Amino acid sequence: MPTVPARPLRILLAKLGMDTHTVGITVVAHALREAGMEVIFTGLKQTPEAVASAAIQEDVDVVGISSLSAGHTRSLPRLARLLREQGAADKLLVAGGVIPEEDVPLLQEAGYARIFIMGAATAEIVQYLQDWWSARLAAEAARE
Amino acid sequence: MSRPLDRIPAAEPAAPAPAEEQRRWEREKRAPFVAAHPERREAFVTQALKWPIKPLYTPADLDAAGFDYLRDLGFPGEYPFTRATQPNGHRSDLWTMSQVTGFGKGEDWARRARYMLEQGLQGLILEHDLPTTNGYDSDNPLVEGEVGRAGMALDSLEDLERAFDLPFEKLRYLMSVCNAPQPVNLAMIIAALEKKGVDPRRFVLHIVNGILIEYTCVGRYIYPPVHGLRIATDCIEYIIRNHPNWAPISIISAQLQPAKANPVQEIAFSMAIALAYIDATLERGLDIDTVAPYFHFVINVDMDFFEGICKLRAYRKIWAQLMKERYGARRPEALKIRMMTSPTTIALTLQQPLNNIGRLAIMATACALGGAGESMTTPLHDEAHALPAEEAIRVGAALQHIVAHETGVADTIDPLAGSYYVEALTKQIESAALAEIDKIAQMGGALRAIESGYFQRTLGREQYERNQDIETGRRKWVGVNHLVHPGEKRQIEIFRAANTMEEEQVARLRALRARRDNTAVAAALDAVRAAARSGSNLVPPCLAAVKVYATHGEVCDALRDVFGVHTPDSQLTGV
Repeated sequence: MPTVPARPLRILLAKLGMDTHTVGITVVAHALREAGMEVIFTGLKQTPEAVASAAIQEDVDVVGISSLSAGHTRSLPRLARLLREQGAADKLLVAGGVIPEEDVPLLQEAGYARIFIMGAATAEIVQYLQDWWSARLAAEAARE
Repeated sequence: MSRPLDRIPAAEPAAPAPAEEQRRWEREKRAPFVAAHPERREAFVTQALKWPIKPLYTPADLDAAGFDYLRDLGFPGEYPFTRATQPNGHRSDLWTMSQVTGFGKGEDWARRARYMLEQGLQGLILEHDLPTTNGYDSDNPLVEGEVGRAGMALDSLEDLERAFDLPFEKLRYLMSVCNAPQPVNLAMIIAALEKKGVDPRRFVLHIVNGILIEYTCVGRYIYPPVHGLRIATDCIEYIIRNHPNWAPISIISAQLQPAKANPVQEIAFSMAIALAYIDATLERGLDIDTVAPYFHFVINVDMDFFEGICKLRAYRKIWAQLMKERYGARRPEALKIRMMTSPTTIALTLQQPLNNIGRLAIMATACALGGAGESMTTPLHDEAHALPAEEAIRVGAALQHIVAHETGVADTIDPLAGSYYVEALTKQIESAALAEIDKIAQMGGALRAIESGYFQRTLGREQYERNQDIETGRRKWVGVNHLVHPGEKRQIEIFRAANTMEEEQVARLRALRARRDNTAVAAALDAVRAAARSGSNLVPPCLAAVKVYATHGEVCDALRDVFGVHTPDSQLTGV
């Protein structure tokens, strides 16, 4: 039996720039809520600056970006840098969408822990986040 | 007529009633067979609606649905138009066969357009890039990297002057897609035609003008919905009064369908949206018989053959009913839905792309069987991968000819009419859609349904559930969760645009701002703001503004000053 986490994971889901494709992020949001996570959505057409400050203000544990336009090579690294600069490097960064495999190393280097390329099952995304969250909570408990 | 009792003949052994016969067959034949040969699925359901599919449909299903030939179908070209809007179906004229054109920018678009006209195409589609459709100029920091990517960049009248370097005498229609900033876009087209000396009566400008669907699922909105509706109505009214041969509004149901609207939601949402535009246009003093014929619907068909065919039949009937019974339209033209059909792209897979040719042929056949309408567009089998290859374009064109000329499906009108299953499902879709239309009306109509997030949340749930169908394997999708080739390497060619195009566009824009009469621009933008506040039609002041080279983004900004911007949260996006 998996242990029930003490508090639910809070995740901010966001869309950057002019990319308005929302089916993928909607499906993921529903699956995460179904799994008991707290999901906050920024709305469309956000700047990296706005997403970074929303992540800090909402005190989320994870930031997830959905990208289905070609803007990911610029805006995603910028968001990661902004979060680090604002002392929020402890937040887990993940991304998903239409992201070519050859761009994955670049995003990982920029600070994205995991890239879910189009076609990834929601079960896989939920499992990944649950595992990360259990480990994070265990680490917090050990520190206390 | 009653007869005296004594004259009733002695009862002969009556032939068994069909329903009784069917029960006998079920008991004696099917049930024992199924006991020995279990069914291959736990439940048979339609693709999107997930309605149970019975093993057999019989006249009993028509009786149960209250089917009446004259009332439910009638004859082609006559009310309620279920069978066809034209009296001879597609026996006289086939549908116009078209494909969505590739994209370009400014003079590039003109080059592509001239090539297509040389190939004998008579209609063109002008798609704009995301900065344009979201109301930003190319030099806005928000849109860096997006200029000219998903379509042509449009900053000022100059860009359209370059784009309209075309032999207009060969052009029957031009379709323009630019919903949120529609009055600005319309004004630029009118001004560019004037500059080129083109007679606007000689061809049809077809604007999509579909802002309400943008709020529902597409996302390219700028202003709050109530202002979006006002803007769209301004354009409809302006065109009806000034360019009566043009087409001022299309309901792109084909955007609701990829957002996973099922056939009932799709018909109901798109009809409710159409009614919102109609109500707003009637308030401008136009009558229903004038307004209704201006509405076009673009409709996708998915892989469930029967859901698709029955949906198209239900569309024709419901439009006719709504216009006649609820709006009192009398002209036959007002009762006939104008529709264009297309196989859906969301049925196509990235995996094993050649399989998509089979899917496209099946969906195109369904479109034809459902009554293709004025035109049919086919997407292409490699579209999930990259810009379509020439071979894909040829195969896509050939597909429509194969359906039209080799299968016989277009040779008789509405050939599936009378099928117990097709008629039962058509009725079922029709009644469910009418009930949903009523429900939306009770909410206060499409505008309120958008403002409360009802459409968005409904679609969001549907998107999740349909995705679960695939993830759990309840629905098989070849190449995705069935007959998967594990070794298949996904080969995606990525179109990486050179950034010189963006720099050029931005440089041109800045040069224009330095060169033009900026006092005249400021005054024209004030006039746009004044019209926005007063409620008078926005097209004339937009026309005056673009003629003095106010930019697209500047006019959109002037409207932002008055209307504000739409910033929906989770509840209002359905995410």
